[in-house]
Amino acid sequence: MELDLLLKGFGVVFQPSCFGLILLGTVSGVLIGALPGLTATMGVALLIPFTFGLPVHQGVGMLLGIFCGAIYGGSISAILIRTPGTPAAAATVLDGYPLNQKGEAGRALSMSIFASFVGGFSGALIMTFASPQISRVALQFSAPEYFGLAIFGLSIIISISGNSIVKGIIAGFFGMLISTIGLDPMAGYPRFTFGFMDLFEGPAFIPTLIGLFALSEVFKGVEVLYKQEAVKAVKQQLLPSWTDIRKAWLTIVKSTFIGTFIGAVPGAGSDISAFVAYGEAKRSSKHPETFGKGEITGVAAAEAANNACTGGAMIPMLSLGVPGDAVTAVLLGALVIQGLQPGPLLFKDHIDMVYSIFAGMMTANLLMFLVGIFGIRFFVRIISIERSLLIPIIFLLSIVGAYSMRNSLFDVGLAVVFGIIGYFMQRYDFPASPILLSLILGPLAESSLRRALIVSHGDFTILFTRPISLALILLAIASLITATIMQLKLEKRMLAENAQQPRSGS
Amino acid sequence: MKKTFALLLICLFVIVVAGCGGQAEKFPTKPVTLVVPWAAGGGTDAIARGLGKAAEKPLGQTITVNNVTGGGGAVGHGAGLNAKNDGYTVTMITFELLSLPPQKLIPFTYKDYDLLMRLNTDPAALTVKADSPFKTVKDFVEYAKTNPGKVNVGNSGPASVWHLAAGLLEEKAGIKLNHVPFNGAAPAVTDLVGGHIQAVTVSPAEVQSQVKAGQLKMLAIMSDKRDPNFPDVPTFKEAGYDITFATWRGLAVPKNTPENVKKVLADAFKQGYDSPEFQEFAKKASLGLAYASAADFKTFLDKTAADTEAVMKKLNLAK
Repeated sequence: MELDLLLKGFGVVFQPSCFGLILLGTVSGVLIGALPGLTATMGVALLIPFTFGLPVHQGVGMLLGIFCGAIYGGSISAILIRTPGTPAAAATVLDGYPLNQKGEAGRALSMSIFASFVGGFSGALIMTFASPQISRVALQFSAPEYFGLAIFGLSIIISISGNSIVKGIIAGFFGMLISTIGLDPMAGYPRFTFGFMDLFEGPAFIPTLIGLFALSEVFKGVEVLYKQEAVKAVKQQLLPSWTDIRKAWLTIVKSTFIGTFIGAVPGAGSDISAFVAYGEAKRSSKHPETFGKGEITGVAAAEAANNACTGGAMIPMLSLGVPGDAVTAVLLGALVIQGLQPGPLLFKDHIDMVYSIFAGMMTANLLMFLVGIFGIRFFVRIISIERSLLIPIIFLLSIVGAYSMRNSLFDVGLAVVFGIIGYFMQRYDFPASPILLSLILGPLAESSLRRALIVSHGDFTILFTRPISLALILLAIASLITATIMQLKLEKRMLAENAQQPRSGS
Repeated sequence: MKKTFALLLICLFVIVVAGCGGQAEKFPTKPVTLVVPWAAGGGTDAIARGLGKAAEKPLGQTITVNNVTGGGGAVGHGAGLNAKNDGYTVTMITFELLSLPPQKLIPFTYKDYDLLMRLNTDPAALTVKADSPFKTVKDFVEYAKTNPGKVNVGNSGPASVWHLAAGLLEEKAGIKLNHVPFNGAAPAVTDLVGGHIQAVTVSPAEVQSQVKAGQLKMLAIMSDKRDPNFPDVPTFKEAGYDITFATWRGLAVPKNTPENVKKVLADAFKQGYDSPEFQEFAKKASLGLAYASAADFKTFLDKTAADTEAVMKKLNLAK
């Protein structure tokens, strides 16, 4: 019955016009994702008006292509120029860029497309066969559970602290502090905005990201602009090597499940899922010390999870009528305008449409895989551009990216400020990613804790009497303890190594 | 190969720059910009794009939608207000223009614009879970009276339109509710479906799929007439409570825009509004179309602004 419907769905999707539009969507999605400042959400939102005149399955197919393509596309700039093209790729930077610095950009890119495809396609499969079951679990999530999830996510800060827990925690708290800027989420009063209307919603995420990662790298790059560097020969490869696949296989599977589930929970999206999967990959790894220094499984975990999240986020959108993340919120609007109201009735009244969406999602992931493999040879060329040319280009892209998010010059200034902060952080060996994690999860933790307390009329036990929330909080505590022990061991070992062999320069 | 790559990069730049939106003397001799204070892809943006497209033909110029977001609508409303008053910048104004001034978050009000027209109004509706013990508004009010502050009512954010709707209900029915702010209407509706809160006061359009699927039920709506999509749901007036409250959207231009320019704009947008394409679009998106001329819009805003400020004082949201 289900297979029959799915086959019919594929029949619709493989009509030349529909297939062509999905391909078009996927290619533009990859480009949109790769450009810093253009996110999957914006890509879908801006192209919706073009789908009005198209039949439903064609229009929606194109939008799904953009969605899947953009989430993958973000990893390209994350690996090549240390700028996550979309927030979803923020965790990809952690190991993707170090790999690039080691001259292994090709290896990182091929793993990225492979993990993206496996994660995305499996996410779509899970969505096809388990939507009703998963959406029932997602409905169990309310404020206390979101708080548990946020705290669990934040416990990863320890794992991404780099060389020093103390510096990681300082960076994490700095991020939390920044995340309190803006209108209070529960009372609506402005906090630390100093009268700037542009700060009412807090410092905009994308410009902050661009500043901390891309601009800081530009400033650093200027220092060594004319220093002759031996051009590293980039080994080109389309598919990850068998050794890499074997190494990352289990992580990809685990990350796919983490990504799909976090995607299915309304209110938590691909950026969070990538970090959670990354943290889990590091925790369960036999060589956690290699993470953050160019570990291929780190790239695999982040990319499998954020792409699996696309299928996951579609689950509550289609079956409950509530979007799983920002992109699906926009997609929901597009479906409504096409005369389809997502929700339980969609499965009753338009089951054929639902299955052509499932089929479209799988096709988009397949096409993304092909586009990605085909594209790698062009992408890697970026790093063989001379530094004196590449750095101004990254600078320009960063400025345009920061501006285009909200058409705002204020945001450009914001990116520059964070660029300077990021530059000094790098110089004094503070990790930047804890700031990012705090910016993503801090607001979720704050508003869900306060919402939980409003609902419980101020009773803190609500956090510990609900099974899912209790489980998440216990997981967070466990992860905090194990990560701290692990990190302290690492630090000790590094100290010992340094004592034996004094560092010459840095 | 380098050349191909350079070409590719140039193409990318063009795409990015084109995506940034263009900036906007006889009128109109060049494209008109429609400032939307909300993000691309949202409800307000959809109407702006739909109407903009429909009004291009009667206006004889392109209409470019420019999303100037941030500050809960404050930034975009400010940008539209401070634009040159030559008619080339029109702003899609929304309800927040009434709720931001009492919080002293913006230094201007709707009176600082020249109004063109009102486009739509969407009322609030009191919605509960389908298996809730509340069958009517009366059940709900009675329970809230004996259990003051116990009923958790979700809304779309602090000082948002649906928060004020619940506040108005409290005031008019003489009850005390526990207001739970969410980040938008959708998460509030999800929490209601999951049974974590007892009611929401958002628009019918935002709960219609769950209501039609039998997961939620609407007790009453805060408008003068019943909703044609839900003919069985009474209005609050019919249920015995004199409450009407709605969000709205309209068009405005900066103060002292020349009269003839305003007339050209108002005529063009009205024609776009009446066009079959826009009407069809509005029906699909369940927009409560409610055109009002500039003068009627002003009277409507005077009353709504007073109500809004009064409720906000009660909720301790006004400074």
